Amino acid sequence: MRRTSPAHTIGKGVLVALLLIFTLFPVYWMLASAFDARAGRSSSFFPQELTLDNFAFVLDEGGFTVFLRNSLIVAGATVLVSAVLALLAAVAVARFRFRMRTQILMLILIVQMVPLEALVIPLFVQVRDLQLLGTLAGLVVVYVTLALAFGIWMLRGFVAAVPVELEEAAYLDGASWGRMFWSVLLPLVAPGLVATSIFSFITAWNEFIFALTMLGGATENYTVAIGLRSFFGQYSNDWGAVMAGSTIITVPVMIFFILVQRRLATGLTAGAVKG
Amino acid sequence: MSTQLPTAAPVGAGSSPAPTGRRPLSRRRAALARPWLLLAPSLLVLAVLLLWPLIRVVLFSLQDYGLREIVSGEPNWIGFANFAEILGSAQLWTIVLPNTIGFAVLAVAGTVAFGTAVAVLLASLGTTWRTIVSSAIMAAWAMPAVTGTYVWVWIFDADRGIFNQTLMNMGLMDDPVNWFTGRFSFYAIVLLNVIHHGFPFVAITVLAGLLGVPKEMLEAAEMDGAGGWRRFFQIIVPQLRQVFAVVIILSTIWDFKVFAQVYLMPGGAGSNREVLNLGVWSYVESFGQNRYGFGSAIAVLLTLLLLSITAVYVRTILKEEEL
Repeated sequence: MRRTSPAHTIGKGVLVALLLIFTLFPVYWMLASAFDARAGRSSSFFPQELTLDNFAFVLDEGGFTVFLRNSLIVAGATVLVSAVLALLAAVAVARFRFRMRTQILMLILIVQMVPLEALVIPLFVQVRDLQLLGTLAGLVVVYVTLALAFGIWMLRGFVAAVPVELEEAAYLDGASWGRMFWSVLLPLVAPGLVATSIFSFITAWNEFIFALTMLGGATENYTVAIGLRSFFGQYSNDWGAVMAGSTIITVPVMIFFILVQRRLATGLTAGAVKG
Repeated sequence: MSTQLPTAAPVGAGSSPAPTGRRPLSRRRAALARPWLLLAPSLLVLAVLLLWPLIRVVLFSLQDYGLREIVSGEPNWIGFANFAEILGSAQLWTIVLPNTIGFAVLAVAGTVAFGTAVAVLLASLGTTWRTIVSSAIMAAWAMPAVTGTYVWVWIFDADRGIFNQTLMNMGLMDDPVNWFTGRFSFYAIVLLNVIHHGFPFVAITVLAGLLGVPKEMLEAAEMDGAGGWRRFFQIIVPQLRQVFAVVIILSTIWDFKVFAQVYLMPGGAGSNREVLNLGVWSYVESFGQNRYGFGSAIAVLLTLLLLSITAVYVRTILKEEEL
């Protein structure tokens, strides 16, 4: 594999360039159109007239300020509730052996595979019965459920990676289970908790079907994912504005995503137990 | 998503929090109850908001469930009439099923092949370029389905999209073409969208596997005169069997239930019956026509399809791994 003939290197360079173009073009095109005052009126691959007007228009007249606030509330609440529930459950399945443990893990895995389309009808009826249609609370309830199964599976790995010896050392020092959980386990699982929380945040931030179904005509409670849609229909030819809205939705997710990858890459408990 | 799990350490030694030697009985009982107390909130949420709805969608599928039934809460049983109607409809066999399955097969094949090719390319790069290209790939992965779909719709927009403009400037085309009306061109765009969004997961996962293949094996094969293709198919692929199984089955599950990528395209929300797939059909019948029972029956069929794939997943992959 150590052949580095010039032709070989050039060929590889071309492949990398093509790959980068394919991968980044949609992102580039979204940004280019969002910052271009003449988006959709020229056929150039580069912005003709740089401007922030599209963003101002979307945030102001498009109502995106409200949509952003709603999405932050929903995603924040989802992260908090699902992180607490998933951590407790993950400790149970990773640290204890009890009857039905394997069955419960399987159940959680299978439940995760169920298509949202199958859940949207009964959950719509259920949320309607709870009188929560059109509210953000109804959406949080649904998103916690969606984030929970994945969170338990992911955190389970992080909890299992914490050496048991550390726990035992805490018990030898006279700590109760609660004290051990709070002072030993929690700090060590914190990076995993952050990663899981970011995934829950992204789930809630991006989710589309339930927001579309549950919020219905309650425009003041729209999240960004469907706020963009209503906006799109209204000004269907103003692509600059649609792309500005898309940029506002996409950028925080991209930042979080890169953060999450770093977290997962770093060794979790490297050096926690010395020789 | 779910294959990012860090490898689990064996639970064995940590099965109970501390040696249970000669502890008072009450403490031992507390230790026995603890896992259940910890699990209770999650299990409650999952039972009420996932399991019960799943049972309910089956119950709905056996009823003529419309707006009237939603308001009154009265059941209206009709047996398997919904299923009979679905299975007897020409729409299912000529449009919906070919769209769903045909698309899933092409999308999985495309995503896995392209993702693997990218992984091989990444593995051959130096550290700097590998970091640069992986970061770019992350950006494609992080793009939400909703905004990603809008960007592709904008690129292929009939009147002003850059795709039509470029083709016309190059003289390949005289008049703009509306790519969203034809069934095949519609799904070609969905395919591009889904592969673009799905290949990063495959590339990163396969790359992790590739880097784990012992160098000695590859060098030995090279000394024995095996070419690049042969090394790939006879050494790397068998070594990564598990990785490929995960990647293929997860992609299959995701590609069978593409929803937003179809629903948000022009005509995808039910106005163009030619491009319906199972998920969108179920949604459109339920919330567009208020035929919640009929929509539930479609959803049940989709779920059964996916559960059988999941069963394969569980059997082939989790068989050896201790839970």
